[in-house]
Amino acid sequence: MKPLGMAAIAALMCSAASAETFTWAGTTDPQTMDPHAVNSAPVLGFLNNVYEGLVRRGKDMTIEPALATSWEVIGDGEGWRFTLREGVTFHDGALFDAEDVVFSYERASSEPADVKGWFAPVAEVVKVDDYTVDVMTASPNPIFPDSIANWMIMDSGWAETNNATLPDKDNGNFATLNANGTGAFMVQDRQPGLETTLVPYEGWWGEVEHNITQATFKPIQNPATAVAALLSGDVDMINPVPIQDASRLSSSDGVQVIQGIEARVIMLGFAHDAETLKYGTGEGDPNPFADVRVRQAVAQAVNVPAILQTIMRGNAEPASQLVSPAMRGFSATQDARPDYDVAAAKALLAEAGYPDGFGFGLKCPNDRYLNDEAVCQAVVSMLAQVGITAELDAMPVRNYWPELREDNFDMYLLGWSPGTFDHEHPVRFLASTPNEEKKLGSWNFGGYSNARIDELLPMIQSEIDDAKRQAMIDEVTALYQGDHAYVTMYVQPLVWGTGSNINLTQRPDNFFILRWVTVN
Amino acid sequence: MLGYIIRRVVQSVLVLLVVGLVAFSMFRFVGDPVDNMLGQERTQADIDRLRADLGLDQPFVVQYWRFLQGAVEGNFGVSYRQGRPVADIIAERAPATLELAAVSGLLAISLGIILGVYTAIRREGWASHLIMTLSLVGVSLPTFLIGILLIYVFSVELDLLPSFGRGETVMVGNWSTGFLTASGWQALILPSITLGLYQMTLIMRLVRAEMLEVLRQDYVKFARARGLSERVVNFRHALKNTLVPVITVTGLQLGSIIAFAIITETVFQWPGVGLLFINAIQFVDIPVMAAYLMLISVMFVAINLIVDLLYVAVDPRLRTDEGRT
Repeated sequence: MKPLGMAAIAALMCSAASAETFTWAGTTDPQTMDPHAVNSAPVLGFLNNVYEGLVRRGKDMTIEPALATSWEVIGDGEGWRFTLREGVTFHDGALFDAEDVVFSYERASSEPADVKGWFAPVAEVVKVDDYTVDVMTASPNPIFPDSIANWMIMDSGWAETNNATLPDKDNGNFATLNANGTGAFMVQDRQPGLETTLVPYEGWWGEVEHNITQATFKPIQNPATAVAALLSGDVDMINPVPIQDASRLSSSDGVQVIQGIEARVIMLGFAHDAETLKYGTGEGDPNPFADVRVRQAVAQAVNVPAILQTIMRGNAEPASQLVSPAMRGFSATQDARPDYDVAAAKALLAEAGYPDGFGFGLKCPNDRYLNDEAVCQAVVSMLAQVGITAELDAMPVRNYWPELREDNFDMYLLGWSPGTFDHEHPVRFLASTPNEEKKLGSWNFGGYSNARIDELLPMIQSEIDDAKRQAMIDEVTALYQGDHAYVTMYVQPLVWGTGSNINLTQRPDNFFILRWVTVN
Repeated sequence: MLGYIIRRVVQSVLVLLVVGLVAFSMFRFVGDPVDNMLGQERTQADIDRLRADLGLDQPFVVQYWRFLQGAVEGNFGVSYRQGRPVADIIAERAPATLELAAVSGLLAISLGIILGVYTAIRREGWASHLIMTLSLVGVSLPTFLIGILLIYVFSVELDLLPSFGRGETVMVGNWSTGFLTASGWQALILPSITLGLYQMTLIMRLVRAEMLEVLRQDYVKFARARGLSERVVNFRHALKNTLVPVITVTGLQLGSIIAFAIITETVFQWPGVGLLFINAIQFVDIPVMAAYLMLISVMFVAINLIVDLLYVAVDPRLRTDEGRT
């Protein structure tokens, strides 16, 4: 063979070797490609690879510049000024500018948009010039840039041309099946429920870290099938790995298990405002959980380290408060859990007037959180050791939320992942006195109420000075901890499985970011 | 005869209506879809508004009536999860299930008959004993376990076949087929064995029992006495006469192959209507669940109706009974 031919073949082989296709599997197919239609982790996580926001989260969850290069507070907190990145193009080649930001605000805050809640504090968005945008807020909002990392920017021209200026969740429109973002990857092929194929966007503004030439996402619902697919090499990455398979997988050849902790805190909640118990042998008796001593007794009777060791197989971290340490506003001064102490718990119960314990009902989901039902069973047996008898009622999550909304519980299990990755979020949803009008305490099923927390929350929401804000958050944390409003147990683990030739970064929000993947 | 047919058709429609009614009365126990449809930031007002929009605040009889009104016009509503017409989604997923059912049905019938005849003729052979023992496995092991076992052996350990999915498909008109690609055929092997194994063992045991019965008959003895070869006796005279009950049972089993594809499709992530139904239950996607259940019951009712009518055609006694009443 001629040397020239050899060189050509060698060149061909090289290009074949650097062509890295990557296939990954998750349990849920993103419902839509429309970044404003549905506010759910599978959709936002997937679309983070295709669309981009003004800001984005880095590998450690910190906010970093994306389509905006910098931002600053306007005046005393009337709003935020964003300076936009110049020279960015959408996948169809259209230029990105301030028009698109204003349009994306209007689209994402419109009535049919699922994500409109993010923009509740926003009064208006003003285009200052082609690359400057002012977001005016009704009151000072210190965490606004943190809260919009998933607000993705869509091209106004593209949306108008394709009649997709508003999201349509119920009937779908062009943007449901097609995407046109500025992100590192473009949607090449989309078959809902089967597979979605992404290819790198050559014109992306950022520095490319990955070496992927094509990436395919396939939903696999059955965990055993996903594990088999990973072991046989049919997929390169699965999320999640079932906890019970984690140790087996990590000892298998050719695959590795990547573990971290998620943003989600798992806790027990109480019926604070109920008059009587509703379930178990104590049905109809006055509600013991109204007494803080009883709630503290429960907190001290639950052996969290044992739950983590046995049920979570050492994969989770105990939680002292409503957020994990990875979140903004985590209260470092309040990082202590109640000790596991059976004698103290019994003493507290006796003091509260229940020396012989009582019977009640514990509600629990069985398909929402990792090993949720097993955790509840463990809690039941631990409570039995201090003399209180829980009747466990576990059900699928699709039945669970309606039951909690109807107040059909004495005690319940809840997991909370703060959408804004800030401590203010669970305080607003879980620790504020429920108030439909002000949209406060909408997940505070037990009706926990502390006047001082209600007073502090609006101050936290509008405090621009970070140190003062943290001091108030610390105070709120001490209050709900002292009230034993919830028994925060642990931060749920993240367990992903990959081929051993894959390098990637696992982010605590369980978003899979394709541009951090390299295939060796 | 005509009166009989009309009465059977009316009965079938009644059965369908009752199935639908029972299905709709069960849906509220499946759960509440609104939590899946609204995000974390939802308020009670959002929940109430969505429930009203979807008609979920109405009694189930009213919901059922609305579904029937749409169904008569061929409109099965819009999926809560996918936001697309249910009829489109089912039409898109049906080819996967039908192809899988066809292959496993053929596999079950051909292997079932061959093995059934073999074990009947060589009743005492060691191979027959082995096959009969193994067939117990097919009858008693749950489909789920068989599927996982096959995946473990052929995908994970031997790395011969894909562990999930349908491989590459080709669109022929509106029909996506896996029959035209090598990866499509490879992907079919494990799921069709998993789905067809139970039916295969059933047919095999049925053929064997019928064959043993027929082989004892006088005309078989006469055929042997006439000096016909074993082959002709076994296949021309004996097997032919065993096929009538086999065909009846197989016809009825065809429906259950499609209906019970749910489990196989879940294990192999096979993108058919069964997987669609499982996902619909998890999401409480009522329009999809309702359409699927109605579709499956229409199929069963239709098969039973055809079988009943065939009986009338085959069995003259039914017709004379009809004449008397």
